[in-house]
Amino acid sequence: MNTINISFKLNGKDMKMEIKPQLLLLDMLREELGLTGTKNGCGEGDCGACTVLFDGKPICSCLALAVNADGHEITTVEGLGSEEKLDPLQQAFIDEGAVQCGFCTPGMLLSAKALLNKNNDPSDAEIKRAISGNLCRCTGYTKIVKAIKKAAKMKEV
Amino acid sequence: MVENRVVGKSVKKIDAKEKVLGTALYAADIKKKEMLYGKILTSNITHGILKSINTEKAKAVKGVHAVLTGEDVPGLNSTGMIIRDEPVIVKKGDKIRKIGDTLAIIAAETEEIAENALKMIEVEIEELTPVFCPYEAMKEGAPQVHEKGNILSVRKIIKGDVEDTFSKCAAVVEGTFKTGIQEHAYIEPEAGIAEVVGDVINVWCCTQNPHMDRKEIAANLNVGLQKVRVIQTTTGGGFGGKLDESVQIHLALLAKATNKPVKMVYSREESIIYTGKRHPITMKYKTGCDAQGMLLAMECEIVADTGAYASYGPGVATRCAVHATGPYYVPNVKITAFCIYTNNPRSGAFRGFGVPQVALAHESQLDMLAEKIGITPYEIRIKNALRPNMKTATDQLLEQSVGITKTLEAAKTRAEQLLKIRL
Amino acid sequence: MKKKGVGIANMWYGIGNTGLPNPASAYVELLDDGTAIVLTGCADIGQGSDTILAQIAAEELGIDMDDVALISADTGVTPDAGKTSASRQTYISGNAVRFAAREAKGVVIDEAARLLSVDPEKITLRNKILTAEGTEKSISLLDCLNECRKQGKLTLGHGSFNPEVIALNSETGEGKPYACYGFATQVAEVEVDTETGDITVLRMVCAHDVGKAVNPSNVEGQIEGGVSNGLGYCLTEEIVVENGVIKNTDLATYLIPTSLDVPEIESIIVEDPEMTGPFMAKGVGEPALIPTPAAIANAIYDAVGVRVTELPVKKETLLFKMLKKEVS
Repeated sequence: MNTINISFKLNGKDMKMEIKPQLLLLDMLREELGLTGTKNGCGEGDCGACTVLFDGKPICSCLALAVNADGHEITTVEGLGSEEKLDPLQQAFIDEGAVQCGFCTPGMLLSAKALLNKNNDPSDAEIKRAISGNLCRCTGYTKIVKAIKKAAKMKEV
Repeated sequence: MVENRVVGKSVKKIDAKEKVLGTALYAADIKKKEMLYGKILTSNITHGILKSINTEKAKAVKGVHAVLTGEDVPGLNSTGMIIRDEPVIVKKGDKIRKIGDTLAIIAAETEEIAENALKMIEVEIEELTPVFCPYEAMKEGAPQVHEKGNILSVRKIIKGDVEDTFSKCAAVVEGTFKTGIQEHAYIEPEAGIAEVVGDVINVWCCTQNPHMDRKEIAANLNVGLQKVRVIQTTTGGGFGGKLDESVQIHLALLAKATNKPVKMVYSREESIIYTGKRHPITMKYKTGCDAQGMLLAMECEIVADTGAYASYGPGVATRCAVHATGPYYVPNVKITAFCIYTNNPRSGAFRGFGVPQVALAHESQLDMLAEKIGITPYEIRIKNALRPNMKTATDQLLEQSVGITKTLEAAKTRAEQLLKIRL
Repeated sequence: MKKKGVGIANMWYGIGNTGLPNPASAYVELLDDGTAIVLTGCADIGQGSDTILAQIAAEELGIDMDDVALISADTGVTPDAGKTSASRQTYISGNAVRFAAREAKGVVIDEAARLLSVDPEKITLRNKILTAEGTEKSISLLDCLNECRKQGKLTLGHGSFNPEVIALNSETGEGKPYACYGFATQVAEVEVDTETGDITVLRMVCAHDVGKAVNPSNVEGQIEGGVSNGLGYCLTEEIVVENGVIKNTDLATYLIPTSLDVPEIESIIVEDPEMTGPFMAKGVGEPALIPTPAAIANAIYDAVGVRVTELPVKKETLLFKMLKKEVS
């Protein structure tokens, strides 16, 4: 079978992969690279659990082909923060009780990250719009919005 | 009294850190060496008899390690949380009762191989007339979904004399309320992985009750409970939908048959088709009060369509009956709640267990009575709210922790402040 | 034209299985260094029972949250705690964990009573210090554990709890279906567009009697999530079944609320203490969504004078009924 060589930046590191042309970005991350922080909730771009950043913009990795990553930069939840140093968003999600089952959390964090990267003082309405593609069934979004607002302030400090 | 140190404090959730880091392991995240993938062949007809099933071609596909049918289930081949009425895999000669009944399960080296092999299974089904309306299903001569008849359960609560009391009421309202089918839509679809280690079958899965899973697996594999270990993986929501068996028994059967780890992850579509829903319920309600708005009598008939299998249906219908009055003192009550089999998708447990349905009915009728009598919705509620030392419809004496008057006052006060209105 | 309305709805909900035994059990081991391990069969599905049960153990043992490790829902290791359903785990597993912790604690309390020459009833354990009430006498938990070990005494506890219920009579329904009930009132403010039938929920005010909020933030989280779920049930969520076939099998055609659909939710925690609950707690998981559709339905009536008789509320049905009302 044909394979394609791609090179891209993943969570700040240069990567080279030999992949099948039809491989989905989500499957490359989860199955080939073991980055299981990115979740598969529907496989059809409806739920946003698989959201990753593509050159800083949130996309559904279940709808993207891995070959599209060639020459670009991908950020997953694993690249957001670490055990030792959490991203302010991750800390705010913990502090505000914005995490329940956690399945939407990685995607939610990345959509929020993309927002805060371009707007460090978002209104509630802007936050709600930014995460409107990420479904959460547990929290009613209230504490998630609060956490994102808090993280924006933490960033300024 | 000494102040609590930890209880009553908004401490951080102990599992939050691994969830924000993306390191929490959900079942779909687990990989094992030489792992196989499980897939299910399901029925696409609602009612019929499985006349024959031929798996020879599917078994011959390269990369397929096992194709199991109903004949291959060594134990009871039935599951169900209240009564065992659902086959794990429909056996040849047995009945199919809904779309999505399992006809065969497959374990293969890749999902693709498993999916392709499924298409090679030859099935012959004799179709039977289905029944989809619970009221039709209750009639004599209706197609029978199960041998014991379509009326699965009847729960009655009778207190005082409603007929006589209605004639003395200052106001009586009557109406029918209907609710639709709700899907749990947890963001994590069902998933699990099973592996035989020594003579113990280990199953890692998302679930709301690993001990019940163990019981169901043991009964269907015909092994002792001590030979099954169920380990809950981080679970991405449940809301009642992960109480019934989904992947658990199928995975255990496949792991045992292949002696390899087997993983199964439902697609969103599979999750929606295979798993339970919130019961659609029709409620005929009649409620009466005196001229001051004190409730005197309530009569209701509740019909819950549980679909093809019981799941938690009888429990849901019972809960509807017990909660039918709402949190009010009603001296005369006649409640009947039916749970009915049809060939519709199975309904089961869903956050609220039938009570959101009856709440729509009793809360609407309270407002209707208040309007007739000329008092406010708040007034009729505070007048009739249960208080300590009052009895419920089931004649239970409530002794303490009856907070309904407090929640009513608290909500009213806050809403009036926020909305700048008088309630 | 847009019309606003306000609706109110109450609910009650029996905690645990209806008129049936539904026990839960737990084990607690107090370790040499004053930390503890809790084993419970209770499955946390995201609602936070792991945290709640760890809090209950920490409180009973007089130690910190960080001192508690909790292992849950593994049949090879943890004892049966029944289902995570019926809003029962805080109340039932919470009691089981508390009793298990109390039994483990009993060993150090007896030992402290012996060492301090006082009655065991006089001993309290808090902040890792065992104190004899009404005296100056005390001993640290570590020293006491050390003494226990010297004598070959381990500090283990098992706890179980089965709520007191009476099965319902099959003819009259008489019985005691639940040991306790949660109660709630929700107020909904909605706006109805009389031309399109669009319904917007602007605000929900939700007061819930939970007995005692073991973790107030978690209780709010349950209320906020429950309201969102109830809102979807009332307005948009419907599995469409035709002749037994589900027509909408994806999340593009089965619509659950997004961040743009959820209104401001004001949670009010009411604590009417439940004497049989762990630290007087009851449950809140399901109560959170039960009154939501009813409150919205009553608010719709208040706004446009049309009674909701079917869920979900369909725009076209609402418009038709509004028109019919106008004509008559």
